[in-house]
Amino acid sequence: MFRLHDVSYAYGGSQAGVAALSHVSLDVAQGEFRWLLGPSGAGKSSLLSILSLEVQASSGMVEILGVPVRQTRRAGLARLRRRIGAVKQDFGLLPDMSVFDNVALPLRLQHRAEAEIAHEVHAIMKWVGLEHRLDALPPQLSGGEQQRVAIARAVIYRPALLVADEPTNALDERQAGRLMRMFHRLAELGTTIVVATHNDAIVAKYPAPTIELLHGHLVRDHG
Amino acid sequence: MARQRYHDGLALRQALPGRFLPFLVGSMAFLAALALAGGIAAHSLSQRWTHGAGAVTTVQVPGPTDPATTTAAMGQMPATRIDAVLAILAATPGITDTHRLSDAELRALLAPWIEQTGDASLPLPAVIELHTAPGQDVAASLLPRLQAQAPGVLMEHDSVWSDRLAALAASLQACAGLAVLVVMTVAVCVVMAATRAGLLTRRQAIGLIHALGATDSYISGRFATRVGLLALWGGLCGSVLALPMLLALSQLAAPFTAMGDAPATAPDWRDLHAWSALLPPALLWMLVIVPPAAGLTGWATTQLTVRAWLRRLP
Ligand SMILES: Nc1ncnc2c1ncn2[C@@H]1O[C@H](COP(=O)(O)OP(=O)(O)OP(=O)(O)O)[C@@H](O)[C@H]1O
Ligand SMILES: [Mg+2]
Repeated sequence: MFRLHDVSYAYGGSQAGVAALSHVSLDVAQGEFRWLLGPSGAGKSSLLSILSLEVQASSGMVEILGVPVRQTRRAGLARLRRRIGAVKQDFGLLPDMSVFDNVALPLRLQHRAEAEIAHEVHAIMKWVGLEHRLDALPPQLSGGEQQRVAIARAVIYRPALLVADEPTNALDERQAGRLMRMFHRLAELGTTIVVATHNDAIVAKYPAPTIELLHGHLVRDHG
Repeated sequence: MARQRYHDGLALRQALPGRFLPFLVGSMAFLAALALAGGIAAHSLSQRWTHGAGAVTTVQVPGPTDPATTTAAMGQMPATRIDAVLAILAATPGITDTHRLSDAELRALLAPWIEQTGDASLPLPAVIELHTAPGQDVAASLLPRLQAQAPGVLMEHDSVWSDRLAALAASLQACAGLAVLVVMTVAVCVVMAATRAGLLTRRQAIGLIHALGATDSYISGRFATRVGLLALWGGLCGSVLALPMLLALSQLAAPFTAMGDAPATAPDWRDLHAWSALLPPALLWMLVIVPPAAGLTGWATTQLTVRAWLRRLP
């Protein structure tokens, strides 16, 4: 769950910078699934990077999983990041590490045992249908395959908050359907999920409460 | 599947290659070892010059043939003052050598003044040169005893040369200290530059593991451990390379130092004691301390550099 109150964000500082978000207030409960909609440049990715603690809001109050972000020290934010999963629009895979190592990364940073890591990675990669590409490097994969690796890495440590930026844009319809079923299953288990998308067809097929942005302003919450 | 224990994407073997840093740190350690050795040598020479056998004390006894003031109770034959003084000096521990200047030596020494006054029959005092054992300061307790026997006795510590040499040694030590400081500053800058370059090549991976919840102390610790070990290795090489150089230099300096009786040939390589006898202990300790000092400096510099760099991430 998370709460935003009067949050603004500008790239390059609040004075001269490009305003990406203006006075956004939101309150999303634990286990909720939300679509995040809006035209290109509306500020969807910017909102998701605030939620994944990739950037700090220029102004306003941000509270994620009960933690007030501005008042929390760096070590506390690092701990909080381990409870947040993020699928980036550009996937964010390390090109010189194998698929296995990319997906295992969050677990290695938590110092889990290698045997347990191998077990978890094989299970999740089987689920996304890529268990035969574990030793490949990300640049050797297709766009859709890379996207599935990024999704696998974001969910492998069962985050309490999952933010996904256009997670279906490189997937075919069948894989997108599987992904949506997994998201709903995770939400049932208590994960709060926000998915940004342009894909009207998938929103129509899987109706859920939405957040809609336009020019950085919140124009619809819930409805 | 044998996977690396630390596969966290930092790829430090790439980011901080294992040759460049040890080579540079090793060179710095080598220079620092030489500078420190110079400082240590200057220090021990100055010790020798100010307290050691290099120092000469002169004792002037006016009216040497006058009778000494003996205590009446002893009822001895009244001796001359010079005999009484020489007897006391002979019985004083710490004095290695006494030499009474002959009349001819004395007149030669005083020739300029005697010529000026033109009087060759001037009563001359007796002059005795004393050599004291290193580290012994006998003058303070000696003077009252001599004066009790021969009033008017003067003692003079010939300190002009030893003072000048001590000043020279002190400035040599200061130069050595400065050189060590400069070398350390350069080493710190080199480590900082190498670390920054390493951070830059792995910037994407660092951003990613930061986003996945790696703490600053984890990332800086990984870099600092790598750099610390490389610097330790470099320091070790520098120390080992400095050793033959210092051995050669201390052989050259042997006639001027207390190490004069060190064997000129290399001892059996298994005999550690014989090896350690070739170098003064201060130099040996310095060689032992340089590698861990290099490692620690590298570790601390990297910690600070990486932590400062990570501040740009939220
Ligand atoms: N790194 C950046 N520097 C400066 N301006 C940026 C940067 N990233 C985004 N912007 C600007 O911020 C605004 C919001 O961008 P954002 O990426 O959040 O939009 P978006 O809704 O995700 O768009 P899309 O659907 O195309 O991904 C845009 O006007 C964009 O030009
Ligand atoms: Mg976007």
